[in-house]
Amino acid sequence: MASRKEGTGSTATSSSSTAGAAGKGKGKGGSGDSAVKQVQIDGLVVLKIIKHYQEEGQGTEVVQGVLLGLVVEDRLEITNCFPFPQHTEDDADFDEVQYQMEMMRSLRHVNIDHLHVGWYQSTYYGSFVTRALLDSQFSYQHAIEESVVLIYDPIKTAQGSLSLKAYRLTPKLMEVCKEKDFSPEALKKANITFEYMFEEVPIVIKNSHLINVLMWELEKKSAVADKHELLSLASSNHLGKNLQLLMDRVDEMSQDIVKYNTYMRNTSKQQQQKHQQRRQQENMQRQSRGEPPLPEEDLSKLFKPPQPPARMDSLLIAGQINTYCQNIKEFTAQNLGKLFMAQALQEYNN
Amino acid sequence: MSRFFTTGSDSESESSLSGEELVTKPVGGNYGKQPLLLSEDEEDTKRVVRSAKDKRFEELTNLIRTIRNAMKIRDVTKCLEEFELLGKAYGKAKSIVDKEGVPRFYIRILADLEDYLNELWEDKEGKKKMNKNNAKALSTLRQKIRKYNRDFESHITSYKQSADEDAEKNEEDSEGSSDEDEDEDGVSAATFLKKKSEAPSGESRKFLKKMDVRARDEDEDSEDSEDDEDWDTGSTSSDSDSEEEEGKQTALASRFLKKAPTTDEDKKAAEKKREDKAKKKHDRKSKRLDEEEEDNEGGEWERVRGGVPLVKEKPKMFAKGTEITHAVVIKKLNEILQARGKKGTDRAAQIELLQLLVQIAAENNLGEGVIVKIKFNIIASLYDYNPNLATYMKPEMWGKCLDCINELMDILFANPNIFVGENILEESENLHNADQPLRVRGCILTLVERMDEEFTKIMQNTDPHSQEYVEHLKDEAQVCAIIERVQRYLEEKGTTEEVCRIYLLRILHTYYKFDYKAHQRQLTPPEGSSKSEQDQAENEGEDSAVLMERLCKYIYAKDRTDRIRTCAILCHIYHHALHSRWYQARDLMLMSHLQDNIQHADPPVQILYNRTMVQLGICAFRQGLTKDAHNALLDIQSSGRAKELLGQGLLLRSLQERNQEQEKVERRRQVPFHLHINLELLECVYLVSAMLLEIPYMAAHESDARRRMISKQFHHQLRVGERQPLLGPPESMREHVVAASKAMKMGDWKTCHSFIINEKMNGKVWDLFPEADKVRTMLVRKIQEESLRTYLFTYSSVYDSISMETLSDMFELDLPTVHSIISKMIINEELMASLDQPTQTVVMHRTEPTAQQNLALQLAEKLGSLVENNERVFDHKQGTYGGYFRDQKDGYRKNEGYMRRGGYRQQQSQTAY
Repeated sequence: MASRKEGTGSTATSSSSTAGAAGKGKGKGGSGDSAVKQVQIDGLVVLKIIKHYQEEGQGTEVVQGVLLGLVVEDRLEITNCFPFPQHTEDDADFDEVQYQMEMMRSLRHVNIDHLHVGWYQSTYYGSFVTRALLDSQFSYQHAIEESVVLIYDPIKTAQGSLSLKAYRLTPKLMEVCKEKDFSPEALKKANITFEYMFEEVPIVIKNSHLINVLMWELEKKSAVADKHELLSLASSNHLGKNLQLLMDRVDEMSQDIVKYNTYMRNTSKQQQQKHQQRRQQENMQRQSRGEPPLPEEDLSKLFKPPQPPARMDSLLIAGQINTYCQNIKEFTAQNLGKLFMAQALQEYNN
Repeated sequence: MSRFFTTGSDSESESSLSGEELVTKPVGGNYGKQPLLLSEDEEDTKRVVRSAKDKRFEELTNLIRTIRNAMKIRDVTKCLEEFELLGKAYGKAKSIVDKEGVPRFYIRILADLEDYLNELWEDKEGKKKMNKNNAKALSTLRQKIRKYNRDFESHITSYKQSADEDAEKNEEDSEGSSDEDEDEDGVSAATFLKKKSEAPSGESRKFLKKMDVRARDEDEDSEDSEDDEDWDTGSTSSDSDSEEEEGKQTALASRFLKKAPTTDEDKKAAEKKREDKAKKKHDRKSKRLDEEEEDNEGGEWERVRGGVPLVKEKPKMFAKGTEITHAVVIKKLNEILQARGKKGTDRAAQIELLQLLVQIAAENNLGEGVIVKIKFNIIASLYDYNPNLATYMKPEMWGKCLDCINELMDILFANPNIFVGENILEESENLHNADQPLRVRGCILTLVERMDEEFTKIMQNTDPHSQEYVEHLKDEAQVCAIIERVQRYLEEKGTTEEVCRIYLLRILHTYYKFDYKAHQRQLTPPEGSSKSEQDQAENEGEDSAVLMERLCKYIYAKDRTDRIRTCAILCHIYHHALHSRWYQARDLMLMSHLQDNIQHADPPVQILYNRTMVQLGICAFRQGLTKDAHNALLDIQSSGRAKELLGQGLLLRSLQERNQEQEKVERRRQVPFHLHINLELLECVYLVSAMLLEIPYMAAHESDARRRMISKQFHHQLRVGERQPLLGPPESMREHVVAASKAMKMGDWKTCHSFIINEKMNGKVWDLFPEADKVRTMLVRKIQEESLRTYLFTYSSVYDSISMETLSDMFELDLPTVHSIISKMIINEELMASLDQPTQTVVMHRTEPTAQQNLALQLAEKLGSLVENNERVFDHKQGTYGGYFRDQKDGYRKNEGYMRRGGYRQQQSQTAY
């Protein structure tokens, strides 16, 4: 708890968000066999990520970067980071690996932690549960077991509450990804649902004592900030956007289900046909007795069962919908509070 | 081995030597500068060193060497490449060649290459073995070289001659071919010297021989020789040696003859040739000759042939002293007409002959019947002058044609006793018997229709932005006058069908013209006394509206062919629309039911229909009926092919899709430029009316998920505008409309107005209307009204109530108008509000859901369908039980949805009251 309090100095509201994150993390990522139980982020890293987005990201574009640090017991300490350059069409032959290696080497020369412990990414209204993220996090976790992905939501941050979350793939999902079999049966067997795809790891932001002292002092000296974004009552825009995105996902989900439905129907139809044909064949054989029976495999080869649709996408969409719902819930809850407060104030004034 | 091969290889070694020589130039010092390889013509001038020449020739020889090498290894593909390069290099060296004559080595390679190719071509087995690329290259190259060599025919034949000589001589001199063939690398000075000394002697001999040949062949039938040449270059080389030899020699002779076509001898020969052609070889070569004649038009034979019929026939027109009677003239006429349509008849000469005949007939007072008859034929042959449909008449022909028709009409009007008709048989014609009415076969109507077609063709083929076009357009008056005359004539004598046809022609020349006089008259009510004499005289002319009415009514009543009536109706509508008689035009369009079955009509009628619809739309716009305007223009504009649909130009896009033939047909359908409807005006009218409809609609249904677009094109333009990263001030008409739409979206009518009506737009669009100011005032008012509506739709949620006076001030509309607009909106349930009479305010009810509420509703709907889909999946697993379950669920949910929405509304309205 101490460390968390220390964090309050750097950004006024980080404590609340981290508290929420931690709470949720406990609730969800309850699986004990995870390699990392806690992520401790240096204040420097947070500022660097924010700065990176401020300078390079805009609108729906995301920025990404590499996290550096080390593992202490079951705690992952992130002490530094560096950004990835934005992709453009001109430098298609840009070698990312080369760039990473060189960056890390250079950082090592100036005596900075150079262990690769994950990566970070900005997000647009919390739409980060995608295939791309899954794939890259899988490869990270495959190579470095402790690695996490930090999701930074600049829009929420702009509204006054720093939003930074650390995620890891659950071991179950890792298994599935390793086998690369996303058919309905495999997922069923793995017993995986959208709730158990990602686990959130609680975050603690840590600053040095000197900085904390400085913050305390500054807090005393500085007048009350002019703007209280946190108290802004204008909520419609944010809510509308979220709803819109949620709606898009729901549409996608619908389509996915329809696809799955047709698949089901096709399989059942074909199975019936196959039965009929088998029966016919049996009859034929009975008519011309004496001939050796034809192998049944031929048939199954002839009538290939329809390709089962990959269920991973729908899982991801479900996950994404879940995130949106959480977002909206959180947001509306906060706003309701604000509205009641405003009402109370109004009544008091009157 | 054929003889060709030997000569080929012979000269091959020769030229490869010469090629080598150039390469070894730096080593050989002075040798290189000696243009040994040039033809003997240059012998006298060769001492002068010309670096440019050397450079060019070196380029050529290098290429030639590569070709030789390629020939050796039978690499035809390479040959083809190099040959193309060679042709280019030769083109570059053209100026030098012009000065120096064609270099001999160049001719040599051409000749050798052709021989070589022919040989390869013959070698069937070899061809089979050849790989695909080579075989393909072989046929291409063979064709190419044949074409190319045609230009050098004389040189090549002369070269071949000398090559033969050389070969012979070589044999005589026992100059072992081994010596020459041996290799290309080691070239000694001795060979050079030998060559050098050899060449002139060979040449001189050749000259002698040439003279010989010429002398010998002079009497020979030159036609034969040419044919022979054609044959052997054209088809085979398997002829026996002797034939070949002779062919070549005679060909040479013919060359010589051709070169000096002005000599008497030649003329004689040519004439003789013609006769020969006609008599002996007609059966064998008629086809070939015809082709040749077609090709040679304007060539060197042209003059001779042009002269021949004249020479043959002019004196024979009528022998001197023959008494010129009807019979003789008619016979002559028939004689001339017999030739018509045959190949090889000179059409120009025929026309001249006919004109001569008219003169003779007139001089001898043979009566009008004959003259009319001949005149008919003259016009017919004038039309025939052009061999195909696509080309148009030359101006002088056109002038002649018009004059001729005019004269014919003069005669016909002057002599009412002449009957003219298509159905009068040749036998029953009465051309001279003055006692009975004269009867002449021929149809004046067809002639005039044809004339009209020709006129259209001329206009289609003239650049519309040139002075020439204006000149041609001046003829329109003449055409109209003729049509009018024919109309008058036919009204007296023609059948109803004919009258219908000529009426249609008249209509087609009237419908698109705006009647300024009638327009003026309408504007200023007749006061009579104050007007000047001239004005009155002008006003006496028939109103085009009245004229159209009369002509069209006649056609409606009497016509039996559907097409003429359709055309007439369309023209009538067009004319109405052009003169802003919207309701008449619309009613006629609706009554005719053309919209239902126009797709069965032929393309020209469809084009006319499209033009009419567009005109109708523009007319509606002028009247301020934006919706009608939009509907009328929608079909044409939404396709994006307005240009094509109106017959005002072909689209480049579809150029690949159609072949040459189709394109020609389409080109013929194009409407002449003076009938064009301004496309920019059309688009602007469409977009502006779309804007006036769409923007309020968009504002009203902003949050409706199932909102439909009224105009796709307009939306497309809006999107294009949005995509622009940097928005400058609008330049084009479209940008203006887009900018105006954006302003209107905000309810800012003043900005919208300034974007729609300003200097630029006036110049581009609005000034093109006959009553520009009226249109502009109408437009301003429309913009104000629609902006008011948009404003109310967009911002009603912000207001609790709004005073109508404020609105009327904002939009500069008078209070009653504002009142009526708002009332209409309330009645149509577009605006949830009520009017408070005493305070003159609009009180909003605020029953429209907000954006979030709307979104939430949509989301709910989507979730509903999601659940439904999900349950279907569930069904699969559960079987029939699930189905039952679902049905129940479905009903339940439906109910719920209904209840929910209804309840919501109710609740809202309750709170509002």
